[in-house]
Amino acid sequence: MRRLAILACVMVAATPIVHAAEAPPGASACSGCHAPRGGASGGIPPIAAKSADEITATMLAYQAGEGEPTVMNRIAKGFTEPEIRAIAAWLVAGR
Amino acid sequence: MTPWNPNRRAVLKTLTAATVTVTASAALSRPVHAQGAARVVVIGGGFAGGTAARFLKGHGLDVTLVEPNPTYTACPLSNSVVAGLRSLDRQTFGYDGLRRAGVTVVHQRASKVDAEARRVTLGDGVALDYDRLVLAPGIDMNFGALPGYDDKAAEIMPHAWKAGPQTTLLARQLEAMEDGGVVVMSVPANPYRCPPGPYERASLIAHYLKTRKPRSKLIVLDAKDSFSKQRLFQAAWEKLYPGLLEWVSLSSGGQVTSVDPASLTLVTDFDRVKAAVANVIPPQKAASIAALAEVADRTGWCPIDPVTFESRLRPGIHVIGDAAIAGAMPKSAFAANAQAKVCAAAVATLLRGEKPAAPKLINTCYSLVAPDYGISVAGVYAPSDGRLADVEGAGGTSPLDAPASFRAKEAVYAESWFDTITAEVFG
Amino acid sequence: MARTLINVPATAKRGEVVEIKALISHPMETGFRTGSDGALIPRDIIHRFACTYNGEEVFSADLFPAITANPFITFTTVAEESGEIALSWTDDQGNTQTETAKITVGQDPVE
Ligand SMILES: Cc1cc2nc3c(=O)[nH]c(=O)nc-3n(C[C@H](O)[C@H](O)[C@H](O)COP(=O)(O)OP(=O)(O)OC[C@H]3O[C@@H](n4cnc5c(N)ncnc54)[C@H](O)[C@@H]3O)c2cc1C
Repeated sequence: MRRLAILACVMVAATPIVHAAEAPPGASACSGCHAPRGGASGGIPPIAAKSADEITATMLAYQAGEGEPTVMNRIAKGFTEPEIRAIAAWLVAGR
Repeated sequence: MTPWNPNRRAVLKTLTAATVTVTASAALSRPVHAQGAARVVVIGGGFAGGTAARFLKGHGLDVTLVEPNPTYTACPLSNSVVAGLRSLDRQTFGYDGLRRAGVTVVHQRASKVDAEARRVTLGDGVALDYDRLVLAPGIDMNFGALPGYDDKAAEIMPHAWKAGPQTTLLARQLEAMEDGGVVVMSVPANPYRCPPGPYERASLIAHYLKTRKPRSKLIVLDAKDSFSKQRLFQAAWEKLYPGLLEWVSLSSGGQVTSVDPASLTLVTDFDRVKAAVANVIPPQKAASIAALAEVADRTGWCPIDPVTFESRLRPGIHVIGDAAIAGAMPKSAFAANAQAKVCAAAVATLLRGEKPAAPKLINTCYSLVAPDYGISVAGVYAPSDGRLADVEGAGGTSPLDAPASFRAKEAVYAESWFDTITAEVFG
Repeated sequence: MARTLINVPATAKRGEVVEIKALISHPMETGFRTGSDGALIPRDIIHRFACTYNGEEVFSADLFPAITANPFITFTTVAEESGEIALSWTDDQGNTQTETAKITVGQDPVE
């Protein structure tokens, strides 16, 4: 019975609305600013259509002081490259 | 300022001992539900509780959200309402979105929490059993900490620190004030909800006075010598509101020690300041249900584990948002939302009998210094030595020397963030 | 030397216990901190505070490096007669700054 309940959890977790598949550290915060369904609100650049490689490359560039970010450079500096890759992969997998 | 109490250690020790006992008995009497999804009750439908409810549901749990109000009025951007730049309607959200997501929403006030029996009692007497409880009740004004100030005084000297009628009241008072009047704000010592919030409000009130009542003045009486984004705020004030906004720091005698609503007077250690409009932001504490549930400590706030947000005082109860002592994280809507997601995942993991991994959390707070002039502060946080600490090298404020286009962009982002986060929580 | 704030009641009854508040803007540099160049920042604190009432010392305090910047001192004294209250702060260089206030004590004694 208990195993069944766990299985059920895992299945629900696979639905795209809230992808429970263990968010890697930091990943669940992204959607507070970046709407999962594109940039309807305008303003903050949308990431919904970006590939994992694009997201990773942008974050690493910001870390290195490149590009024209406002706040993402300050945030990117809090993560290691493997962490950034994991976040990008998770964001894309959850679509 | 707080008197040191030699018995504090002893008290803490007793508390720890009590906690251990409760853990053992709770674990024995209440195994995780074998049938159906585990039940989680969330108290409080704000940024923290609303987010938690949605994400707990997403993790396949049976979620009941307890919130007394039929609608939620959001604080972020409410300073623009105070300054007549935005309508309060745009701050107001309903709970149908959460219902559609499968959350059971009960419009009642939680009046009692029995941590041992794992049961919440509502205002109407109904009892809700839970496997885990998420407490997200926000703040209460700590009226006892400011002599002369209470609910009644707040009708004369509004705090407007919970958005709603108080916000409207302060906006109306500013509107009704004659040109030439002195507006006085009182800002508390840390910790309190939204560290840069009072300075955003001061900026936008100054903007209102400058554009509508240019002979008026704003005095900000502060119980602190330094504050969030201080250099950015002060540089902007000098540029935009010279001679109009006076900030009086703690060491300049800025701490308000009592207020007299009858004469609209704020009393400091060295002065009595009479106001035409007084905005008193009093000291605060976790909302009263936290003390009733025995998860608040003697500071008035709730100590938590930085990985799971589980209370350090009562097992099975997680505390998120403004009510929690989240280490280096500020009390912000962004932080509440980020904490809620981490907490929801941890609760789901714990209910599966597994151990949650260490999270990383993020915060970004925008403040408007003028309608087209935004600034931000950000941070990245991780558990370290039992508390949430700043990740070194990350975070910080907008650059001091940024061009106007950068400030304009951050002003747009402030609103964009608000739209996205409120859609995520209530949409 | 530095900016000060004092609060002495302008009037009092004879025999009344009055509260006096005094704040001075001062870094209270401990002498234990290092600057950005790695060198110790020399100690620079207010080490003594005193209050006289018509010339007679009624309160004094020795201050140490553990005292916070901008020290704020509150104490009480008994209002005996009208006159002058003088508050003085002395720093590590031996400079003393004094601020004074008048207090008028009424004829009726406090009940
Ligand atoms: C003027 C101002 C400006 C701000 N600007 C920003 C900003 O720009 N960005 C930002 O990130 N943050 C901002 N904040 C901070 C932000 O509003 C708070 O940090 C945030 O609301 C905290 O969320 P919460 O869910 O913990 O508490 P709340 O939002 O206060 O929600 C708590 C909920 O719990 C309910 N509740 C309380 N007691 C009970 C009970 N016994 N039973 C059931 N329900 C209960 C309440 O009714 C309420 O709905 C601002 C705050 C202010 C005052």
